[in-house]
Amino acid sequence: MEVSNSCSSFSSSSVDSTKPSPSESSVNLSLSLTFPSTSPQREAKQDWPPIKSRLRDTLKGRRLIRRGNDTSLFVKVYMEGVPIGRKLDLCAFSGYESLLENLSHMFDTSIICGNRDRKHHVLTYEDKDGDWMMVGDIPWDMFLETVRRLKITRPERY
Amino acid sequence: MGLRFPPKVLEHILSFIDSNEDRNSVSLVCKSWFETERKTRKRVFVGNCYAVSPAAVTRRFPEMRSLTLKGKPHFADYNLVPDGWGGYAWPWIEAMAAKSSSLEEIRMKRMVVTDECLEKIAASFKDFKVLVLTSCEGFSTDGIAAIAATCRNLRVLELRECIVEDLGGDWLSYFPESSTSLVSLDFSCLDSEVKISDLERLVSRSPNLKSLKLNPAVTLDGLVSLLRCAPQLTELGTGSFAAQLKPEAFSKLSEAFSNCKQLQSLSGLWDVLPEYLPALYSVCPGLTSLNLSYATVRMPDLVELLRRCSKLQKLWVMDLIEDKGLEAVASYCKELRELRVFPSEPDLDATNIPLTEQGLVFVSKGCRKLESVLYFCVQFTNAALFTIARKRPNLKCFRLCVIEPFAPDYKTNEPLDKGFKAIAEGCRDLRRLSVSGLLSDKAFKYIGKHAKKVRMLSIAFAGDSDLMLHHLLSGCQSLKKLEIRDCPFGDTALLEHAAKLETMRSLWMSSCFVSFGACKLLSQKMPRLNVEVIDEHPPESRPESSPVERIYIYRTVAGPRMDTPEFVWTIHKNPENGVSHLAIK
Repeated sequence: MEVSNSCSSFSSSSVDSTKPSPSESSVNLSLSLTFPSTSPQREAKQDWPPIKSRLRDTLKGRRLIRRGNDTSLFVKVYMEGVPIGRKLDLCAFSGYESLLENLSHMFDTSIICGNRDRKHHVLTYEDKDGDWMMVGDIPWDMFLETVRRLKITRPERY
Repeated sequence: MGLRFPPKVLEHILSFIDSNEDRNSVSLVCKSWFETERKTRKRVFVGNCYAVSPAAVTRRFPEMRSLTLKGKPHFADYNLVPDGWGGYAWPWIEAMAAKSSSLEEIRMKRMVVTDECLEKIAASFKDFKVLVLTSCEGFSTDGIAAIAATCRNLRVLELRECIVEDLGGDWLSYFPESSTSLVSLDFSCLDSEVKISDLERLVSRSPNLKSLKLNPAVTLDGLVSLLRCAPQLTELGTGSFAAQLKPEAFSKLSEAFSNCKQLQSLSGLWDVLPEYLPALYSVCPGLTSLNLSYATVRMPDLVELLRRCSKLQKLWVMDLIEDKGLEAVASYCKELRELRVFPSEPDLDATNIPLTEQGLVFVSKGCRKLESVLYFCVQFTNAALFTIARKRPNLKCFRLCVIEPFAPDYKTNEPLDKGFKAIAEGCRDLRRLSVSGLLSDKAFKYIGKHAKKVRMLSIAFAGDSDLMLHHLLSGCQSLKKLEIRDCPFGDTALLEHAAKLETMRSLWMSSCFVSFGACKLLSQKMPRLNVEVIDEHPPESRPESSPVERIYIYRTVAGPRMDTPEFVWTIHKNPENGVSHLAIK
């Protein structure tokens, strides 16, 4: 079993100085064990960073930051395949149409909501449960409450 | 020398000794001192409810008036301990009720308290005065109602961050009209709305009320009328601070606050609109404690508030304060002793928040009395740690959470070993330390060697091998509580330093590499340690060398506990048979 092998390699190398390179092995192991955002089996309950549930819940429910009468909601936007993302204030848009228009302009390509096809990039978003969803199914206001980040998928290639 | 102190003389001397550490020492001198001490101890502290049995405690301290109990391990606060692990208050309350009815104060932290417990307290202790429940769960507002209704001399009722089944706001109306003794009421963790008129009447007839912490359901209007009834408050937790912007509302609020001339501590402030902050300006000069951790106030509104708080000793705030806000704190809040900075975006990379290590450096330089720090930051540097250690050798509590696991010094790409070495070496009085970021075994060698007074140490995502644990357990002479998660070691160091574990209250390790085999060996070697394996899957279903999910080890004179749930495996010790017979529950 993967885990017990790693375990024995650690305990056998425990007291000598020829240990595996520090961060690499620790990273691999921890990632497979519990690393919060990368483990797909991660439960809804989060345990990192170590803040109490009450604070975590309050923050989750309050992602719109009010500044006087204006609100702003900055989310990250990534184009699949491009490592550097952008940040966008969703409150600057009146709805999905203006969002798509703006994104298409920003990334210089046509982006749509809806099913993936060969031609268009499709816009998806990560919701507050950590699931990736198609943009456009729910009312705009509800979308603002639940969206955490955006991803523009590549056109399908068959 | 046959001289003996007459017990009455000793009793008199002991009446001046409050600290339990001192009383514990007194009780070790000889049998007669033990007897006199135990008969005069009024305040009893049990740091781990499973370290000793309720019967033993109630038997030993017949004059007990105040009991403080702690249950679950600290990491339960961060969802690392599965529900149902334990920490039940009932056996304690039952034992105390059976022994005597003169108990007056109960304080519990991280325990499971049911409505039955609360009803039993109300029914059994005639002069019950103080109930403080911190991070507890298992009860409903019905239990609170029982306490309110029956405890005629209730002075303190505080529910701090508890998980309560909220059946509505009626519980408040159970305080009888004759109840006038309240000094402190904290229901900030409840959700339901209480009747403001009931609350106003309660507050009006409680002349000794000094501390009032409301829940978010109390509106600004409600707050205004309550402040009018209780201008003598020294501690206030507001309800929700969100409201429509109305000029009359603002001036009423402002006036209400300006009449509270004794206010020293302010918290709550949920959803506060920046426009309403000026209503607080009148109390700022007198504030010693300000908790803004639920207030998403940004710069520069924060500075406008904080620059008026020249007497501030304790500040809890979100990272929205940014480096420049902390620079302002360093210049205006010269009395600051405690700073906590929480992450406003814990689930995302907070790279857009301009809070860096520099913020903490400013405060360390400017606030001479700073002794307690909790700081969440995306990344850190050794240089910052050097400066903090050099400027603030008087630090007693240093908890740094570098949110990015394994993040090295972002300027030099080195581990943060040297930085934490500086902290351990420089801050001689350090009692509590939490480390994070990229750390090799070396860091723990330094900590083990230099952190002589550290009693509680928290570690996450660190170290390279068993050497790390070896360094800690062979050093850290004052270590009482060690909690570790996601570190790559286990068996060897643990078994080698088994004796050390009996000098500590507890050790928690989760997602490390402790094998079930080692747990068995340890348990067998150390009869007065409870070794609990907390794992979804039965340990026998895997090879003995494979790691278990979590272990919790604590010293105890009560033996293995009998209330473990299915996922907690304790190893029964059988001294007669030694190695051969180990039963596992």
